[in-house]
Amino acid sequence: MTAAGKPISEAPILEVRDLATHFFTRAGVVKAVDGVSFSLNRGEIIGLVGESGSGKSVTGFSLIGLVDPPGRIVGGSVKLEGQELVGLNDAGLRKVRGARIAMVFQDPMVTLNPVLTIGQQMHLALAAHESISKRAARARSAEALTRVGIPDAPARLDAYPHQFSGGMRQRVAIAIALLHGTKAIIADEPTTALDVSIQAQILSEMRELAREMGTALVWISHDLSTVSTLASRILVMYAGRIVEEGPTAQVLRSPRHPYTAGLLRSLPAMAKPGTDLEQIPGTTPSLLDLPEGCPFRPRCDRASELCAKDPPMTRADDRGYRCHHTLEEMVSA
Amino acid sequence: MSSFLLQRILQGIVIMAVMSVIVFAGVYAIGNPLEVLIPPEATQDVRARTIARFGLDKSLVEQYFLFISNLFQGDLGQSYIYNEPVLQLIGNRLPATLELVLTAVLGATFIGVPLGIYAGYKPDSVTARTIMAVSILGFSVPTFWVGLILILTFAVSLGWLPSGGRGDTAELFGIDWSIFTLDGWSHLILPATNLALFKLAIMIRLARAGTREVMLSDAVKFARAAGLSETTILSRHVLKLISIPIVTVFGLELASTLAFAVVTETIFSWPGVGKLIIDSIKNLDRPVMVAYLILTAGLFVTINLCVDIGYAVLDPRLRRGRAE
Repeated sequence: MTAAGKPISEAPILEVRDLATHFFTRAGVVKAVDGVSFSLNRGEIIGLVGESGSGKSVTGFSLIGLVDPPGRIVGGSVKLEGQELVGLNDAGLRKVRGARIAMVFQDPMVTLNPVLTIGQQMHLALAAHESISKRAARARSAEALTRVGIPDAPARLDAYPHQFSGGMRQRVAIAIALLHGTKAIIADEPTTALDVSIQAQILSEMRELAREMGTALVWISHDLSTVSTLASRILVMYAGRIVEEGPTAQVLRSPRHPYTAGLLRSLPAMAKPGTDLEQIPGTTPSLLDLPEGCPFRPRCDRASELCAKDPPMTRADDRGYRCHHTLEEMVSA
Repeated sequence: MSSFLLQRILQGIVIMAVMSVIVFAGVYAIGNPLEVLIPPEATQDVRARTIARFGLDKSLVEQYFLFISNLFQGDLGQSYIYNEPVLQLIGNRLPATLELVLTAVLGATFIGVPLGIYAGYKPDSVTARTIMAVSILGFSVPTFWVGLILILTFAVSLGWLPSGGRGDTAELFGIDWSIFTLDGWSHLILPATNLALFKLAIMIRLARAGTREVMLSDAVKFARAAGLSETTILSRHVLKLISIPIVTVFGLELASTLAFAVVTETIFSWPGVGKLIIDSIKNLDRPVMVAYLILTAGLFVTINLCVDIGYAVLDPRLRRGRAE
């Protein structure tokens, strides 16, 4: 199942192989991202889901080479339309960022510069990749704002971020990300900080925009229900690794990893009204001190001695999972 | 904006009125200028006439209102010592202080801020560490000592620059300025450096602290994600984000240095107002003291007003009455 009926044979726009990003802190090495692989086809939307600290945001920042020290990409490969980004120098990365792959952040209150007008910020983003006159920049910016649903866009160019509501600010950020007709956008929890009603609006608009412009999205979120309405594929991340992946509908219907199952059971929408929500026992392990073998083992009710050995990624019919005791195994047994 | 301005101007007027009372009463309390004005061997008659001439026989309140009514006629009184109108006395010396202080504060800002931004941008580099070491020196070494060392080095040992005075001046708007002649600059450079050193240190620290904070913000990360170059991020995003504290300190430093550049002016025999006020305090020259202090208060009020306007220009969130 690929998005929007694109042929499978087409080369993926983004191909990530064994990406590893570690933080070299005084307390030790934090393996925030430890061997993540996935590929993103043109126009496809994939959801990267996990709890706080699972490494999903660091994965996002690693893709555009914006990992803050003491973090650093230590291995793997990120190929954007065939071009290797890992190991590319700053100037090379700068040319790619914003032009060919863009990112939208979580909190629209802090991503825009409060002391520059929207027009100035958009002009700077345009001028980063092409020489453009002030007038042309204004026209392009107004057009981009209109596209993301901001009314009276030409006049709003002279407004400052604080004169916009949260949802409008996030739209501005999305408009900036789309300025150069980027074919891939990493969206790092872009609706988390917004009201639920605004969330739904932005979600449907993003889906619409992605379809219209053929933009592929990596949608990072801790909210499985948000992702499920949007993404065609879901990647579930735990302790720096992808523990389960597959087409959204299948993963939701029959999760194979106990962690995914736990996440699903803890969704309010899945629970019977009036009953307590199920929780996954325990907390996310410290990345400094991961248990040996499967990192989910201490929280898993299915763990056995076998789990002291790291489960490999098993791939079968478009799905993948890292578990010795998959749920399906249980069903079939 | 205009109502904001009007409000601030009214506030300024109130402050000035209060200041004038405090200054007048305070200077009155310091001591009786008669001992300085009248020689001990003067006759009773001379004494009485002098007292009457300066209006010292009137009560404090009467003297105050006389002073205020004269003030509104542009008359700040006559110096006891120089026998010159106070306004003229201060007016002759103010340009000297003005050019010295402006050179020092502007120089410190335009050099200090870029250095500070660099130090905040690359905090671990050798250059950044050197900059911070210099700023610690600027903070901790006393101004008068630096002044003496500057004279010793550049005037006495090397003989490159003069040790004091204003040098040649050129006239503009009927006022003599040293900054318009080469010789004037050679006289200006040492005292200006001396005054600037402390301010340079402050500006470096402010800019560095601001830059370090802003560089970690999501706004900068988002700008980077949009592909902006580091130079653009620093010059367009960061500089404006860190400018509020810099403008604040700029205003404060400018005002306080204008009022109290005394030490440097004394060391370099710079004929500015700082020297004048010290002399008049020594001589209990009441009119000069009162006028000087009131002018200083006016200076602070004006500069603070400009700083407030600067805030509104720099940070749209601070513009009142403009919200949509």
